[in-house]
Amino acid sequence: MIETHALEKKYRSCGALKGLSLSVPRGSAFALVGANGAGKTTLIKILMNLIQPTSGTAEVMAVDSRRLSPEQFRCIGYVSENQELPTRLSVVAYLKYLRPFYTDWDLTLEREFLAQFRLPTDRKIQDLSHGMRVKLALICALAFRPTLLILDEPFSGLDPLVRDELMEGLAAHAGHMTILISSHELTEVEGFATDIGFLDKGKLLFQESMETLADRIQQVTVTVERQGALNGKKPDSWLDFRQVGNVLTFVDTQFSECDLGERIRSRIDGVRGIDVQPMSLRSIFTSISRATRQEQG
Amino acid sequence: MSLFGLKIQPGVSIFDQLVTAAEKAILSGHLEKGQTFPSVRSLAVDLKIHPNTAHKAVQYLIQERWLEVRPGIGTVVAGCPRKPSEIRRHVLEQDVVRLVEEARRVGMDIKDLIRAIEKNWSKAEIALETKGQ
Repeated sequence: MIETHALEKKYRSCGALKGLSLSVPRGSAFALVGANGAGKTTLIKILMNLIQPTSGTAEVMAVDSRRLSPEQFRCIGYVSENQELPTRLSVVAYLKYLRPFYTDWDLTLEREFLAQFRLPTDRKIQDLSHGMRVKLALICALAFRPTLLILDEPFSGLDPLVRDELMEGLAAHAGHMTILISSHELTEVEGFATDIGFLDKGKLLFQESMETLADRIQQVTVTVERQGALNGKKPDSWLDFRQVGNVLTFVDTQFSECDLGERIRSRIDGVRGIDVQPMSLRSIFTSISRATRQEQG
Repeated sequence: MSLFGLKIQPGVSIFDQLVTAAEKAILSGHLEKGQTFPSVRSLAVDLKIHPNTAHKAVQYLIQERWLEVRPGIGTVVAGCPRKPSEIRRHVLEQDVVRLVEEARRVGMDIKDLIRAIEKNWSKAEIALETKGQ
């Protein structure tokens, strides 16, 4: 659905994207994660042809992003980080204004959303809370049943209840579209995303399905005899390595059940017990971010 | 309140969690034979998961004959597809593995563990009996 190849974007002398190649599969809910300044918003703006790449290509629905036609934009729902809305219009007036732009606008779906999100339709947009505005922006991006939905930090600054309501709205209608969502709210994204792409300093660290990621990265705790310790250097795939007393912990980024005991015993002396725990997306994110920062540091 | 007591845990396949929770709910009688099973959409909304994941889990449960499709009604609970004892063992497998690992880590031996299980077993029995009266 989205393919970028060696995408670069420079702002003056500063590189925001440095050869980004990424592929968002059709029908996926693709979570774009990465620290602030990793290039998430720049990527999304290029995809929406709001800015142009310095070099490289970005294809959206098999069309170069610089050549997207109005017909194609009619199939794309987009909510930007600070979505601007005409503040002096009422909710209902704004929706009425948007409808004619889309051939596939679904009035029943619009009503369903208004009821689900409990939006006061007669109120002016300037008098809406931040949460209500995001809900309205999401309705505007979903009511025409887009084939591609792009959300840039939709949850920032929202309270947990509103985030929950937005997720429910998304979950109810995600079936037939491809979704690209950039977010720091990893708990929200975790259950919903099918795929994940990890951006760091304008490059893709990795992209894979959530299932593969969850299998590949595990928290390992090794209990050792007194005097037991790591022999030699730890492998690069072990992050956050720590030893407290007789307990060694680390994040294994190349985890596999196969020969686990042997592999650990070859690196650590005096192993008494090994425990493996799955990790939340949030802990995975912090471990990897910390490791990349140390490498560059 | 989430569906059949399932709260999605981070880091574990959502498909697996959903399938296991449904199997446990059917085994324990929380979902009875003939009862309608939640729709893909309501599973997705209530658990805030991707509808395709919910769809995959429901399809799997239908294929494994835990659920069946009744035209005009929807998806209903079909009952236990295999020998209950065999399924019970399979469904609790992960919980048992976890328990054994924890016990070994804190240095408990198997006799202590069995004793602890027996003690709690009779406790649970008493609790059930008092509830029944």
